[in-house]
Amino acid sequence: MTKVAVVGGGLFRPDRVRYEVAEEGVAEAYRMLLEEVPELDPRDIEFVQCSYFSDHLNQQLCMSWIVQDYIGHHRKPGYRVEAGGSTPLDALINAYFLIKSGEYDLILVVGWEWMSEVDTATTNEFIAAASDTDWDFTVGGYYNGYYAALEVRHMQLYGETVEDLGRLAVRNRNNAVHNPYSQWRSEHGTSYVTLDDYFKDRIVAWPYRRWNCALISEGAAVLLLASEKVARKYSDAPMWIEGVGLGTDSMRPGDRLVDWPYKGAYPEDEERYPSFVERPLTPYPEMANFGFAREAARQAYRRAGITHPVRELDLAELFAPYDGVELCLYEDLLWCPRGEGKTMVREGTVMRGGELPCQLSGGLTAFAHPVGATSLLQTLFLYWELAERIPEKFGDPKLQVSGAEKALLTGHGGTGCQGGVIVFSR
Amino acid sequence: MGEREKVVEDRVLEVLREWEEYARRGNWRPRGYRIIRGPAGNTKVGEEREEEFMVVYRPHGVLYHHSLGKVSKFFRGLIEGKLYGTRCPRCGTVYCPARAHCWNPSCKAQPTEWVELPPSGKVHTFSIMLFSAEAFLEHLPFVLGYVQIDGAHTALPIQILTSPTHVWVGQRVRIKFREERKGELMDIYAVPVPGQEPPKWSCLHADAKAMEDLRRDLEKTYEFLQERFGITREMVMKRWEAPGE
Repeated sequence: MTKVAVVGGGLFRPDRVRYEVAEEGVAEAYRMLLEEVPELDPRDIEFVQCSYFSDHLNQQLCMSWIVQDYIGHHRKPGYRVEAGGSTPLDALINAYFLIKSGEYDLILVVGWEWMSEVDTATTNEFIAAASDTDWDFTVGGYYNGYYAALEVRHMQLYGETVEDLGRLAVRNRNNAVHNPYSQWRSEHGTSYVTLDDYFKDRIVAWPYRRWNCALISEGAAVLLLASEKVARKYSDAPMWIEGVGLGTDSMRPGDRLVDWPYKGAYPEDEERYPSFVERPLTPYPEMANFGFAREAARQAYRRAGITHPVRELDLAELFAPYDGVELCLYEDLLWCPRGEGKTMVREGTVMRGGELPCQLSGGLTAFAHPVGATSLLQTLFLYWELAERIPEKFGDPKLQVSGAEKALLTGHGGTGCQGGVIVFSR
Repeated sequence: MGEREKVVEDRVLEVLREWEEYARRGNWRPRGYRIIRGPAGNTKVGEEREEEFMVVYRPHGVLYHHSLGKVSKFFRGLIEGKLYGTRCPRCGTVYCPARAHCWNPSCKAQPTEWVELPPSGKVHTFSIMLFSAEAFLEHLPFVLGYVQIDGAHTALPIQILTSPTHVWVGQRVRIKFREERKGELMDIYAVPVPGQEPPKWSCLHADAKAMEDLRRDLEKTYEFLQERFGITREMVMKRWEAPGE
């Protein structure tokens, strides 16, 4: 079976509000790709994989048809996938499978989200419509509340502190100031922030402050995916997809106390369940960890031949709409034993200059989070990283990991209801 | 409505009249516009040029009629002041939130049976909400809890009416019913069983700095409530006194 590579991409700079509409933003991102890859004849693109999350945000269904014809790719095969926050990751993985199957050689993946056409409260409501609206939605926590409750559980079981969450918030911002496409830089400028600044920030849903939460964004990204046969025609530095993995968990996080399909699947993690709290029927992942990520990581590592992720990976872009998610993911991605996520923060492993830096782009809380484009923006960032083109693209070498060869991307939707992992290599 | 369906109880007529008005307001048709001069173009931060855009304001209001399906009994139970869960006759798992079919793969989607649950449980996890979406602003500050009802294996999302600094994992709570009930989860709330002290390991109470910052920001929430809704701190605290069963 053929290998699959990312051979180019473009973005439309995300921000809180953009007045160009989605199809125009996509067209701009697409133009950036065409300028980058002059060898690309639009007629060579065989399939358009569209990615956007919400039909509510713009009073428009089947937005992908508007986008596909706007950039002149109608008549060709193409469709949209949708799975909340997992949408762009799923789009990417779907395109990968389509090429892998031998059916297509060149696919354009197109992602966007326009999230500021309703007021902020309504945006939050529409996003929360991706939780169970008969049950979780009705008591008013919405995603801030759900994720904060998940983090309280993990914090209580494994002892990270608000300060650890603050370290991640500060890291994301101080990375994002070096990313000239980041929303934080647009809102804040280029000065660094400190842990003291973090502690002054308003709490929205304890233990989370505003800085711990994902941004609301409007923006777009496109990626060009190619089979081994044609990849080199478009890029001197293709980024190969070495392995992918997918996983799911329950819709309602409260149901994970009796998460039957996970029962006994991870005995080591069950063993590391503290004894001072009552033990649910299924101690892993319960509400403290992300089972989908464990499932996805195991598949992706197996396919990519990764046995020691921290040693073998050079950087990672994680889907962390709230900072505590990262601490859990380190454990679920098998970077450290369950409960040791905090150690990776405290020892600097995941910081810039650390052994496995994460969110160098600034991530969802400081780069941007236009849902349907987010994982594509992160992938484009990794593509530039592995090609060592960050200094050229950003006009600033600070975020370049020199000699980076392998990178990990993970994405998910809901409260970890569905998601996946991709391992890339140069 | 078809011949085989009959309205058994109707508590919706007034709402239908209210929503008729929204329907007449011309959903989707622009109600006004703004011309906005703003940054445009695909550049790095700070390199944009300005352009003028027309922004139209379009309403969209809908009233859904959504069946609560085979777990309707749970929500009718709330109106009647009863708390129900479901139990799988094969594996014995008790679900609250109720499920009409067992999700244990070895039970092969076995239909479950109804069981009445006691109005008590313990906090599995929680979040202290100092900001929320519009519909819940007046409820601030509130505690969003995931409470495991006694006898159930899953956790139910529920608001806990308590001083926001008086909540922890494992806290025992009583479930109370509001006086006016509509058949939704907001018909019930939890209150801590009196006389409990937080355990030494409680992540909020063991972190003095976290508690201090939480108290500071709670003050800002009280100021907001006073300013926006005229809700005083005393009125908020009164909610926590948990009137009657």
